[in-house]
Amino acid sequence: MIGYAPGRSVVHRAHPYTPLVIASGLLLVAFAVRSPLAVWTVVAAALLFAAVAGVLGPVLRPAALLALPTWALLTVLHGLLGGPPHVAVGPLAFSVQGGERALVFGGRLAAILLAFLTALATVSPARLVEAMTVRGVRFGRIYLLVSTLTVVPRLRDRARRIIDAQQCRGLRLGGSPLARVRALGPLVVPLILSALAEVDEQALALDVRGASVDGARTPLETPEDHAADRAVRWGVLVLVVAAYAAKFLGRAP
Amino acid sequence: MSALLRFDGCGYRYPGAAAPALADLTLAVGGGEVVAVAGPVGAGTSTLLLVAGGYAPRLLGGTLEGTRVSEARRPAIVFATPWTQVTGLFQSVRGEVAFGPASFALPRERVLALTAEALERLGATHLAGRDPAGLSGGELQRVIVAGALAMEPDLLLLDDPAAELDPAGADALYGLLPRLAERGVAVLVATPDLVRAARVATRAVALREGRVVGDGPPARVLG
Repeated sequence: MIGYAPGRSVVHRAHPYTPLVIASGLLLVAFAVRSPLAVWTVVAAALLFAAVAGVLGPVLRPAALLALPTWALLTVLHGLLGGPPHVAVGPLAFSVQGGERALVFGGRLAAILLAFLTALATVSPARLVEAMTVRGVRFGRIYLLVSTLTVVPRLRDRARRIIDAQQCRGLRLGGSPLARVRALGPLVVPLILSALAEVDEQALALDVRGASVDGARTPLETPEDHAADRAVRWGVLVLVVAAYAAKFLGRAP
Repeated sequence: MSALLRFDGCGYRYPGAAAPALADLTLAVGGGEVVAVAGPVGAGTSTLLLVAGGYAPRLLGGTLEGTRVSEARRPAIVFATPWTQVTGLFQSVRGEVAFGPASFALPRERVLALTAEALERLGATHLAGRDPAGLSGGELQRVIVAGALAMEPDLLLLDDPAAELDPAGADALYGLLPRLAERGVAVLVATPDLVRAARVATRAVALREGRVVGDGPPARVLG
């Protein structure tokens, strides 16, 4: 699952900025630490974040699907092609240092995916619009951010409609791997073309409804920013600053 | 009746187009009129609405010739396909409809009142809490029209607005137009549904190849 999934968890109910700050904090800390153990501790924190949000299951699958090809590549590049010392794994010589590097890079990727997929699943676009409106952010910037966060579900819905339409015209999606690759053309081309065609009409529709009007919009259901939300966000900031201070002092774990 | 919108020898050409989409257009529309705009595919009916609202060439590019004068303070346009008009930012129909009036920094209570009124006019009050993504095409089109009405437009441009609606929904939408006109709204509706258009329009304009070939009472122009 990639995209917002309504829920009642404490993360869903938090101010929309809070999950985004936590996800950004996990990303930054993952790049501040150096050892495989420290990086995978950040991964564990990201898993905990997803579990508390009640989206661990739905987030794990796309995270694994997105990470696995890169993990495989990292293993080959750093593990098998890395420098000495090597350890024998069956018929293969596996680089110890390369393996550590693969663990670090792979862990960072996992932490980023888990953290941001969790944020995407828990931040309601409507509440984020309201929160940013209250802060006086211009609508153009709000739309840029929120439409980026919602692009995957929108493309998925459109792809579903195109698949239905093309199957009605006789497109077969099953069969051999070659047949599946061939079937991609009639799906991907209309998907891209319709997305491009939609841009004009949607820009027009937004403009008509005052999106380009300068000045403040009226917030309708302002999300509450509790003391706990602010404390969490300040906590993340302190953690990030501490992690980078340690990194630049050469003491990062 | 003073003209809310006036074209005088107006022509419009899309970017890169060899032929103009509108040519030598002279037309005046006043508040309180319901004007049916009819013509075969490619006649320029949709383009006329885009130019009338000031969206072409401002947003679409292209070149405008002649004179277009609009006194419209707040035009609104509705297209045939609802999916491309939804903002995608809200999980409730109420939020989607309120988007327009909220853009103009009206007081919150006023925005909510306009939203409720627009939904009621379209018979869509029961949809207020629903996620727009889960609506049928017809339901979503009613939401889009409600979003346009909630902005209190003085010039309402409808481009085949009933394409996604069932017959009852189309009747209800067209039935709404004279009531809007009574409030002083100028309505231009481009449509292939000449029967419904003739029933509610106070005037009809026929286009062919971007030129006006008929302008007058619907019974005469629409045949």
